[in-house]
Amino acid sequence: MTHPDLIAEYGAWLTDFLPDDYYDRYREYRWDIELRRAHQCAAFEAGWLQPTWSREHGGRSLGLADAMEIRLEAAMRSAPKLPNIAGPGVAAPGIRQFGTAEQIDRLLVPLLRGDEWWALGMSEPEAGSDFAGLRTRAVRDGDVFRVKGRKIWTTQAHQSRWCTLYARTDPEAAKHRGISCLILDLESPGVTIEPIRMASISDETFCEVILDDVEIPVASLLGSCNGGWQVAMSSLNHERQMIWIMNWVEIQRGLNSVREVKTTDDDYASGQVFTELGSLLADAEALRATGYRALHNELDGRPSPEADILKLLGSHTLQRVWELAAAAAGPRSIGDGDLLFERQDALAATIYGGTSEIQRNIIAERLLGLPKG
Amino acid sequence: MDVGLNSGQLALRDSVRDVLRTECPPAVARQAMIDPQRWRTLWKTVVDLGWAELAVPGADGDDTFGRLDLIVVLEECGAAIAPIPLLSSVGMAAGVLRLAGAAAADVLGAIGSGAVAALAVHPPGCRLPGVPTTLQHGRVQGRAVAVPGLARAELIVTLASSADGPVAAVVRVDDGVTVHEAECTDPAQPVADVEIDAEPVAVAPVDLDSAFATPLVAAAADLVGVAGAVLDRAVEHAKTRQQFDKPIGAFQGIKHALADNYVALERARGLTYAAAARLDDSATPPPAAWNAAALAKAAAGEAAVGCARTAVQVHGALAQTWEHDIHLYLRHAWQGAATLGDSRALYHAVGRRFAGAAT
Repeated sequence: MTHPDLIAEYGAWLTDFLPDDYYDRYREYRWDIELRRAHQCAAFEAGWLQPTWSREHGGRSLGLADAMEIRLEAAMRSAPKLPNIAGPGVAAPGIRQFGTAEQIDRLLVPLLRGDEWWALGMSEPEAGSDFAGLRTRAVRDGDVFRVKGRKIWTTQAHQSRWCTLYARTDPEAAKHRGISCLILDLESPGVTIEPIRMASISDETFCEVILDDVEIPVASLLGSCNGGWQVAMSSLNHERQMIWIMNWVEIQRGLNSVREVKTTDDDYASGQVFTELGSLLADAEALRATGYRALHNELDGRPSPEADILKLLGSHTLQRVWELAAAAAGPRSIGDGDLLFERQDALAATIYGGTSEIQRNIIAERLLGLPKG
Repeated sequence: MDVGLNSGQLALRDSVRDVLRTECPPAVARQAMIDPQRWRTLWKTVVDLGWAELAVPGADGDDTFGRLDLIVVLEECGAAIAPIPLLSSVGMAAGVLRLAGAAAADVLGAIGSGAVAALAVHPPGCRLPGVPTTLQHGRVQGRAVAVPGLARAELIVTLASSADGPVAAVVRVDDGVTVHEAECTDPAQPVADVEIDAEPVAVAPVDLDSAFATPLVAAAADLVGVAGAVLDRAVEHAKTRQQFDKPIGAFQGIKHALADNYVALERARGLTYAAAARLDDSATPPPAAWNAAALAKAAAGEAAVGCARTAVQVHGALAQTWEHDIHLYLRHAWQGAATLGDSRALYHAVGRRFAGAAT
């Protein structure tokens, strides 16, 4: 089902792109935004950015199976991370699926090349997991919506040009039926963006976005009026496919770092590390096997309920891997800034893209058929 | 890497499931606990249907039935907690002989026709399976504990150390074989200890990693089946049992425990299918096959015990009664989880190998 030649071609392209000392100095290069920008742009040009999409949109019209192999190869080779994952990962699939011809024409290529960054205007102070409870209000006034409200945890808004802004357009409707997705130009009058200092080193800074009577043209609706819930679910679903691969590669890196810690004179403690290591190796392999199995079912037109475990399993495994790395390092972990970052970053994985508690509700209600609480 | 079931395997699964639904409701396991002969009628049905033939690889070396076919059937038998020696004989004992070549062909043929064999590979005092016997001067000698299905077996497959390295050896349950039956967690699947001092009827050199891989993945499939079935029972109860004016499954305390069980189940199932696919691929090096099979068994043991324990909690006091089925699943899960290496011991072994600390 896969084409080894294709993977070889991709691998050769990546080798050619990366600096010669990339792997020796990965710890520095991972923060190198210019390298990451250049990588995204080059991947777009070469058709590796969105492998299933057409050439003009950074792809090669590949099948899902080949695309997954490319993503796994990229992950295993530690290809530079996209500097603005919300753009290609979440906004782009939404624009491609729901956008008008004009929107696609104006927005998609600059997004995919990385020239224009995107923020996701979803969470609000009173609407986190309960996304459909959002309060930002958009009122139609002729050719524009007038928008008032407040978004928070809006990653990279201060560096972004655009925002997929979810706002309430019908306060009378059931709460998830009265939401629309508007494409907000963050340079519009009335938009105030306040970055929020992060608990640890990060290049994915949160912002608060305050919207004070902001005018957004009606032509900037993404999808239908009051159809924002579908746009959000569909965009996040695309992200969900990518999250497990991202988790998986981080897990591999963590496992290798545990392996490199030379364990100690304390047999009992080493034994505990080995046991946890074995369990985590099972998690990592299960993640990959389940990702493949879900894809295989999807390609054959069968239901793929197992896909819903990927986010929950991947994020928890990631956290356990870095906690084990810290345990195996003993007191040396205290002075290890990289490890601090990994542990902090891993903790975010059970929160973004739907918390673990929400994931469990989804599994219990949609897959097991248990009643809503 | 293709780790799903193909349409033929899905059809096989459905046909096995249909047979077991009528022939083997959970009450059969309860009957088998108190009637030592109860397994025979079901076993005859299963053998007549040809399921035991899954033991036999093809004559030209490439398997007629792959491990994936085998695990599909074993998973369904686990789900039905069928009190038959399909896992112990076809999955485990024949599994060791699968790569043993012509020397084991007659024995495999007999197992494929319904002769019951048991796998004796637990040396006393060890958590992981190993080599419990020696082969010297033409005799197999040694002791093994917790041999699954021994009371029903006419043949014993064991591993022996010999001057020429490890071998798989087959002995008849006859003179020179002393069976020590004991109480066991799951009397529907009785295990026993054995002392062997007998001439083997077949001997074949084996690679130990390869020898254990198929039995481990077979045991994993059985436990995945148990996990799925007992989770279904818990979910059904959680949907119907009302407290505080709503089904208890509406409470997150129950809901999230069951969701975590589902993750454990699919984790184990994914590992088991992937391991079986790797074993069917002759390019897989034996240590990689052993790792994959060991992780699958470890995960499946965790899933089965975890799902059964939650099911007990969800059912409350009901689950403590003989008449309710949950203890049947729980016993099967506990016993299976302790066979061929408990989960912690298997994880430890794989983790140790990964860390490069193994000798």
